[in-house]
Amino acid sequence: MCGARHGRGEAPGARARRRKALTAALAVGTFALALVGCGGASGEGDGAKTDATGTTNAVAGRPVEGGTALIALVQEPGGMNALFHNQSAPLGLAVWVQEPLFLGRTDGTWEPLLAAEVPTVENGGVTEDGLKVTYRLRPDVTWSDGEPFTAEDLEFTYDVIRNPKSTTIAPTEYNLVRAVRVVDPQTVEVTMKRPNPYYLGLFRQTLPKHKFRSSAVTTEDPQARLPLGTGPFTYTNWETGNKIVLERNEAYWRSDRRPKLDGITLRVTPDAQTAINSFTRGEYDSVFFITAGDMPTLRSAQESGAAIEVSPREGSHVEWLWLNQSDKGSDRPHRVLGDPAIREAIDLAIDRQQIVDEVLDGLGTLTGAFVYSGFARVDRPAAPFDPERANELLDAAGWVRGDDGIRVKDGVRASLRFQTLSGDQTRELYQQVIQQNLEEVGIEVKIQNLPSNLIFGTYDEGGRLARGDYDIVMSREGLARDPIEGGWAAMFTCAEVPGPDNKNGTSYVHWCNEEFDRLVGRAASTLDVEERKDLYEQAVELFATERPALPLYSSTSGYTWSTRMKGVDVDWWDGMWPSAADWWLER
Amino acid sequence: MTTFLVKRGLQAIPLLIGISLLLFAMLQMTPGGPLASSEGTGAQNAARVEQIREHYGLDDPLPVQYFNWAGGVATGDWGTSFNTGRPVLTMIWERLPNTLLLTGAAFLLAIAIAVPIGVLAARKQYSWFDYVSSGLSFVGVAMPSFWLALMLLFVFSYSLGWLPSGGLEDLRADHEGFSAVIDRVRHMILPVIVLAAVSTAQLARYVRGAMLDVLQQDYVRTARGSGLRERTVIVGHALRNAAIPVVTVAVLTIPELFLGSVVMETIFAIPGIGRLFVESANLRDYPVLLGILMIGAALVVVANLVADIVYSLLDPRIRYAS
Repeated sequence: MCGARHGRGEAPGARARRRKALTAALAVGTFALALVGCGGASGEGDGAKTDATGTTNAVAGRPVEGGTALIALVQEPGGMNALFHNQSAPLGLAVWVQEPLFLGRTDGTWEPLLAAEVPTVENGGVTEDGLKVTYRLRPDVTWSDGEPFTAEDLEFTYDVIRNPKSTTIAPTEYNLVRAVRVVDPQTVEVTMKRPNPYYLGLFRQTLPKHKFRSSAVTTEDPQARLPLGTGPFTYTNWETGNKIVLERNEAYWRSDRRPKLDGITLRVTPDAQTAINSFTRGEYDSVFFITAGDMPTLRSAQESGAAIEVSPREGSHVEWLWLNQSDKGSDRPHRVLGDPAIREAIDLAIDRQQIVDEVLDGLGTLTGAFVYSGFARVDRPAAPFDPERANELLDAAGWVRGDDGIRVKDGVRASLRFQTLSGDQTRELYQQVIQQNLEEVGIEVKIQNLPSNLIFGTYDEGGRLARGDYDIVMSREGLARDPIEGGWAAMFTCAEVPGPDNKNGTSYVHWCNEEFDRLVGRAASTLDVEERKDLYEQAVELFATERPALPLYSSTSGYTWSTRMKGVDVDWWDGMWPSAADWWLER
Repeated sequence: MTTFLVKRGLQAIPLLIGISLLLFAMLQMTPGGPLASSEGTGAQNAARVEQIREHYGLDDPLPVQYFNWAGGVATGDWGTSFNTGRPVLTMIWERLPNTLLLTGAAFLLAIAIAVPIGVLAARKQYSWFDYVSSGLSFVGVAMPSFWLALMLLFVFSYSLGWLPSGGLEDLRADHEGFSAVIDRVRHMILPVIVLAAVSTAQLARYVRGAMLDVLQQDYVRTARGSGLRERTVIVGHALRNAAIPVVTVAVLTIPELFLGSVVMETIFAIPGIGRLFVESANLRDYPVLLGILMIGAALVVVANLVADIVYSLLDPRIRYAS
């Protein structure tokens, strides 16, 4: 959800990619063994903190049943079915209604939810070659209308996704599926086109077969708007622009986890600032969703006595500086950034810690790895702040300072455009810090921010990134449980460099490195977790030396809820939302 | 009169068709498409995007898309939203009452305040009342309405806690009957005041100016000379004549209020047309945008027609030849 959360106000393209990152986030499947390292990877201190909060809440009083939680919903989606709408709410809140087969936890383990077990090679759920996965379902699961949840529903879901007449926006991992076969009502056998280390990412959402007449399902279908699910709550009503109402699923199949709330009402509030102010004054029990930019407001409200809990989430999305490696999208290297000395000098010249401390109010952490989250996370420190070394490098590479202090080499001036989404004041502040930092080493930076569609537009629309028509662009990307999720690692491969013959290429940096391709390609097609981690570590090292992009900082977002709402448990990845069945309101 | 109305109605048709062509073309020219959020996500996804494009007819040539849309509008099918997959007319229909309530209340409030102020200011030109009301009018016209909205929110909602900060109903409690009405009114107070403020200021200026013109006319002096009560002179003779230019301005503030509701509905979280417009614009949801813009265009046409009719009611000398 994290991916989608940060989508607020960001580029559509970026959001879509992140969306996939999200699904990936939830999805990843490798062997449990491999995954143990996962959650801890991203901010251990944090996980501990939130766990503590969760526990404290649970024991603070005797849970009472009843009441309706009122939650501010900042972006109203087109529909709440995550298979048809890739906006933040259907993705982040799906778990209330559309339950997944497997739940990933903060500690990196996976637990079966609608599935009876997590399929592995050890338990025979996955064949040795990784081409066939057998999913076994719990026999006691029912849809909220009482119908049994069976293997037929999984097969039907795949049929819908595969049907060219449907308008699903399903995660790309379904593209690896060759066939889905129902073995018996509780067993489904899925064959893959090639080994898919990702198989737990399938069936995050399932469609109830008995609610459809054909597998051609489009956005117009009522089920695409308010889906029927198996979860602790059911959708009852949606007054567009005003509220979405959920009620307790009285027939919830988990008899040990009867939801304590009578229901949850999502109040649509278009303005995030207003929503957060109203929340801190007690109008809402929580806000979906909080971005890094909202954290200072929440923190100061809490300090001045607002009855709210704030659970920060460190190590979230990294802000990247994309360094264009092409000369305006051509095969020629960039006239300035094509020189490795320039890229290294930029890396060394930026005072990242100052940005975090002074601009971000301490709400950020530093990393030097492009795989900075998920099971393969690499703990690589950010480049040190060393302007002297940067100057030496540039001198040695033949970049000579001109009269105005800006370096020149072979008639090319070290002058770069620096762009991000216009209208973000915080970003503008640290853009200026970077501008000053780089000026001190003789690199001129011109800040020319643009609306998101001009930066992230498609190739045909003339998007600056797709066309390679930029020098440095800044945006947040790459949060993923598995680097293959959302195509994060693949984004930097040669095959993704956009061009007239490859308009859908996703690479921003127009970088092509065969060794990187080999490492990332191998990591995406083997099931051996240790081998995959090792490959990603090598890829991270290569990336950090070649520097097609520079990580600036990793943002700190969070979750927040009113103190009167108890039983909240925060998972680093999925947030507070999966614990909704345990929420209760103090009287 | 009937012939005139029919004629004007028929004239509006080519006008609206022209407007629709312009709007359609202009929307197509804006950067970023409705599928921008699904595009650019890798070659694997490209085929899927193509399917969605086909489903919504976005792969047809533009003229075909236009005629499909226009034909649909003529037969009452305004298309389907790319975002929600619901019929455009349904989406507009469920939002329209909220916007009408908001703009209607603001319009009435603006008239109710602006007319007496304007009349009194003109009657007592250069008095302290005139100076104060003129001064306030200038402030009202110059002040950005979103700023006023935020200030009022800050004072009456955040600091004093008297009024809710947004929405149309209190979702914490079940209000029924009269208490539901009160609840609705409480939610409407701030947005209506802000929306009315700017129009009030403008209207008051016009009423004052028109009244000043009329009060210097001979017939007003005659009326006074014949010993009519001041009240009768002002209300019965002067105001009625002064009303004609005012009506033009007043009627044209209706589309303006509609525009203003875009901002107010966003700040006060009111589910109306204005917010639907903003959201649809962000998502490049062309069918919804076209639907709202066409309704807006029709509204301007109708407002002008209404103004013409009101003229003839106010001034018997005005007759529309057919």
